[in-house]
Amino acid sequence: MDIVTAWWFWPVVLFLFTLIIGIIAPISGVGGGVLFVPLTTAFFPFSVDFIRGTGLIMALTSALSSAPQLTKRGLANLKILAPVVVVSMVTSVIGGVVGLWVTNTFPTGKYYVTIALGVILFIIFIVMGKSKRVEFPEVEKVDSLSQKLGIEGMWFEPSLDRVVEYKTTNLPVALPAFAAVGFIAGMFGLGAGWANVPVLNLIMGAPIKVATSTSMLIITVNDAAAAWVYLANGAILPVIVVPSVIGITIGARIGAKIAVKAKPKFVRYLVMGIMLMAAILDIIKGLGGLGVIPKIL
Amino acid sequence: MKEVKVDPMNTTFAKVMEIFTLIGLIVMIVPAIGYFAGISQFVELKEAVKHWDEPSSKFWEEVKGIEISGYSWFLNNLTYMDCLSILGIVVLAIAPLLSIIITIPKSRGIYRILLTILAIEFIIAILRPLFMHVTGH
Repeated sequence: MDIVTAWWFWPVVLFLFTLIIGIIAPISGVGGGVLFVPLTTAFFPFSVDFIRGTGLIMALTSALSSAPQLTKRGLANLKILAPVVVVSMVTSVIGGVVGLWVTNTFPTGKYYVTIALGVILFIIFIVMGKSKRVEFPEVEKVDSLSQKLGIEGMWFEPSLDRVVEYKTTNLPVALPAFAAVGFIAGMFGLGAGWANVPVLNLIMGAPIKVATSTSMLIITVNDAAAAWVYLANGAILPVIVVPSVIGITIGARIGAKIAVKAKPKFVRYLVMGIMLMAAILDIIKGLGGLGVIPKIL
Repeated sequence: MKEVKVDPMNTTFAKVMEIFTLIGLIVMIVPAIGYFAGISQFVELKEAVKHWDEPSSKFWEEVKGIEISGYSWFLNNLTYMDCLSILGIVVLAIAPLLSIIITIPKSRGIYRILLTILAIEFIIAILRPLFMHVTGH
């Protein structure tokens, strides 16, 4: 029997692939879901419906595994999550509905979604390349909404050997951004750390550790809500989901250990280069499917 | 050294999420091992491989001759290992809702209202497919 046609071939390749993604994600600082969906769409034989469903479950599982510990330490904060997710949960569900409606209603829908995924990946690439991280942003004036909600928190920062207290601001400006990010995450099955973190850190003034941790917490709720859309449409298959979740979980544990020792910049550039390549390949695959260019993928 | 005071609603939320994540992962992975070993399959692996490049609605038409709308496709077939594994994913996907609901009594003021709204939104998100079919068929 031809190995490639054996049922176990692609699940095994998928496991190894997600294991590698899991290892390089913490080292590069790029979320695993952002790499998984576009690359799997470009190189694996699965429908984009199952890939997006799997991407959501992967992002959800990773976030669920880390968010509780970060919340207990005061790094992830429910006071930030609550007002943000009231808005973004709705848009993430709408995103999931729209994404599945396009691929299942129009015969060429999957190609349009693949092209859109490539374009979104370009945007993510630019956001990641341009956005800077501010370790401890200074919040000079708290907006009235954040003040009414009393958004504040504290955590013990080992590098400073002291407790750091913080407040956030600009919540009315951040809410529309979270709404847009929720829609994209639901529609494409992407984790949304690439967008949540800059909004929390640069717009709302949350310290970078609080921003990355609270982003995880936001992903747990948004992706869980969107996952029901995929479950209700049969777009989640254990044969694809389980090897991916196991692969990325094991990989992330290895990657986290390596990241503590070394976080070479070239790995981040390498991963961003892979993202750019995946964006181009997704657009080529989509255009090839529509017959705009010869089919090569 | 000043002590870190974490709001009780944060710690309750985290504890509940931790428990249900563990349960969800176990319920997802253990039956999946049986499924991959060939025990009691709702979707035969060979059939899945043949059609996994089709959009989800067409996949189910080809593999099982059914139209999927809602959750009965796996809830009515929990004797099969793959459907049992999906139940684990359901536990993972419901973990944040359970965390929110159990946290509501620990929250105060505006956060009690916000968390209640979140819980209602989440429940609507779960129930929505039962009264709205989205795939255009």
